[in-house]
Amino acid sequence: MPSRSSIYQPEEGKGVRSMAEESVMSVGDNKSANGWFGSEQRRLLIQEYGIFLAFVILVAVLSVSNEFFLTAGNISNVLLQTSINGVLAIGMTFVILTRGIDLSVGSVVALAGIVSASFVTSSATAGISGAPYPVALGLGIGLLVGIACGAVSGVIVSRFSVPAFVATLGMLSAARGMTLIYGGGRPVPALTPAFRWIGTGNILGIPAPVVILAVVFAVSWWILNRTRFGRYIYAVGGNPHAARTSGINITRTQFAVYVISGSLAGLAGMLLSARTGSALPQAGIAYELDAIAAVVIGGTSLSGGVGRVTGTLIGALIIGVMNNGLDLMGIQSYYQQVLKGALIVGAVMLDQKRNYGA
Amino acid sequence: MKRLMIALASATALLASSAMAQEKIKIGAAPYGLNAEFMQIWAAALQEHPAVKSGEVELTVFDGRYDALVQQDQFKTMATQKYNAIIFAPIDVDAGAAAVQTAADAGIPVIGSNTRVNSDLLTSYVGSDDTISGYMEAKTVLDKIGCKGNVVILEGPIGQSAQISRLEGNKKALAECPDVKILEDQTANWSRAEAQTLMENWLTAHPNQINGVIGQNDEMALGAIEAIKAAGLDLKSFTIAGIDGITDALHAVKAGEMTSILQDARAQAQGALDLAIFAAKKGDYKPQSDIWATYKDMPWKDGKEKIYNVPWTPVTAENVDQLLATRK
Repeated sequence: MPSRSSIYQPEEGKGVRSMAEESVMSVGDNKSANGWFGSEQRRLLIQEYGIFLAFVILVAVLSVSNEFFLTAGNISNVLLQTSINGVLAIGMTFVILTRGIDLSVGSVVALAGIVSASFVTSSATAGISGAPYPVALGLGIGLLVGIACGAVSGVIVSRFSVPAFVATLGMLSAARGMTLIYGGGRPVPALTPAFRWIGTGNILGIPAPVVILAVVFAVSWWILNRTRFGRYIYAVGGNPHAARTSGINITRTQFAVYVISGSLAGLAGMLLSARTGSALPQAGIAYELDAIAAVVIGGTSLSGGVGRVTGTLIGALIIGVMNNGLDLMGIQSYYQQVLKGALIVGAVMLDQKRNYGA
Repeated sequence: MKRLMIALASATALLASSAMAQEKIKIGAAPYGLNAEFMQIWAAALQEHPAVKSGEVELTVFDGRYDALVQQDQFKTMATQKYNAIIFAPIDVDAGAAAVQTAADAGIPVIGSNTRVNSDLLTSYVGSDDTISGYMEAKTVLDKIGCKGNVVILEGPIGQSAQISRLEGNKKALAECPDVKILEDQTANWSRAEAQTLMENWLTAHPNQINGVIGQNDEMALGAIEAIKAAGLDLKSFTIAGIDGITDALHAVKAGEMTSILQDARAQAQGALDLAIFAAKKGDYKPQSDIWATYKDMPWKDGKEKIYNVPWTPVTAENVDQLLATRK
């Protein structure tokens, strides 16, 4: 892949961060590297292995302490319960890799959920006239709502250089308000069975949302590790100045990651309403926090350029497994929150150590 | 939300021409928040009150946005603008007291509605006793499972007055059935999605053991129903109860999936408005809402009572269609 590596020609002086980013590439691409890269690579591997190890230990402990944890039904449950946060967290990974953040995903979940639901409800009063429409239309509308929200955030961040935190905080408020205006604050019930299938159906015995998460993961992994756009994302987050001088269109790359995050939030919103059977205006409140938590636990650096979508998936699974396991053991949800907090901080401490420590 | 904006706009317009509006009684309604269905029904019922429709009363609804501080600031605004009376549904029992004090200092009577406030300065209160509904729903479940077996309880956010009172009622009924075991007892924060996840995990942890589900509100009971359906279990082998009578729950009651108890938002709102007008006119007023005729157990008593308890109405196969008709 000579054309790709040519982007990274002016690399001297980019500093440790972009070196780390390069080593992420080489891990992904399985390229051989020199000694320096090798040690950084090893460190990264240890870190990722560490997350995976934490996950394995968690699963082992829960398997021993609860007889139901490792049953097929429960594994299916955990994956199902992780699917929505997983989809959101993968979108969030794209954004955070470019040094951004998307605080709006929880509100976009609600907006996309309620708008799409109004097209696929068989309730005479809650839907738009002529509903229910075919499920494909409802899905398309929900995705469009997500894409539109992401595009607005993306334009504000990339074109107007508004900090992502502020731009998406604005969208968090605006999308929630639009949700309440659109539905008059009422839930949209009675979604058609065809639509509900994406939340409750099975494909070869695997819950549909889990299959959707797997597809989203696979496509995202491919984008981030195998495409030029994926390399641009790492480059923009790792060192924007160097990225600009190497001819990368930063504006377009930034815009694109918010569109990706928005569209996945739209998808998650529809998964949620399909699962609960009713689109609720209060849906998705604080979901952005769990998504960010999964990304951070998964080892992606909030300062951009470093991280892997595989880590995010494991991060989401750790949160899902922990919540499920503690529920099974009858432990109050407050402890789950404390543990999640400890995990997030612990993961960032690891991240800091990697970046600034030895 | 649209209605609120119109109300606020008209309030501003009113302020601009306050000389013209001298005759009208200005009443402010301060609900804790307008995001959920219950408070929307409550706010809509205020606008449909005969005295508002006839123009006798100028009503403004302030969205408290689930924030005690926002509510306090709204009270200051109403005091400055010299409202004649305030209807108050506080977000918090204790934090609401400061707002009531503000109104009392300005000489404005405050009528409580729906949620309670720890204050002696309240003129009167119209609401429903959550302890009773908590008892009623648990009793329904226990009667159906024959006072034996296992139940789980889905609680509201710990520390909220409705959660505390409904749990007290739940426990009172459960004490009458000492053979019934509480397998699990956790908060799902009034949320359907949270309750669904919790119930999925409980069904795994206690296979074929759960007989009854006591949901402290309808949303959580509906979440439990979805979890049971998703697990491929037969809903008929569960007894599920909720409280509030939200529209989705009415449909579920009609389908025979759960029981619910209607909390009459309309009666709480219109009753409070009648009392607010009564206080603003210093007693020279006869109540205009039809709710006083509907609830014989809650007599008007010349507007002198401190507490008006709106009775709970169990939603049944007989009255569910009638209730659904009122929801449009």
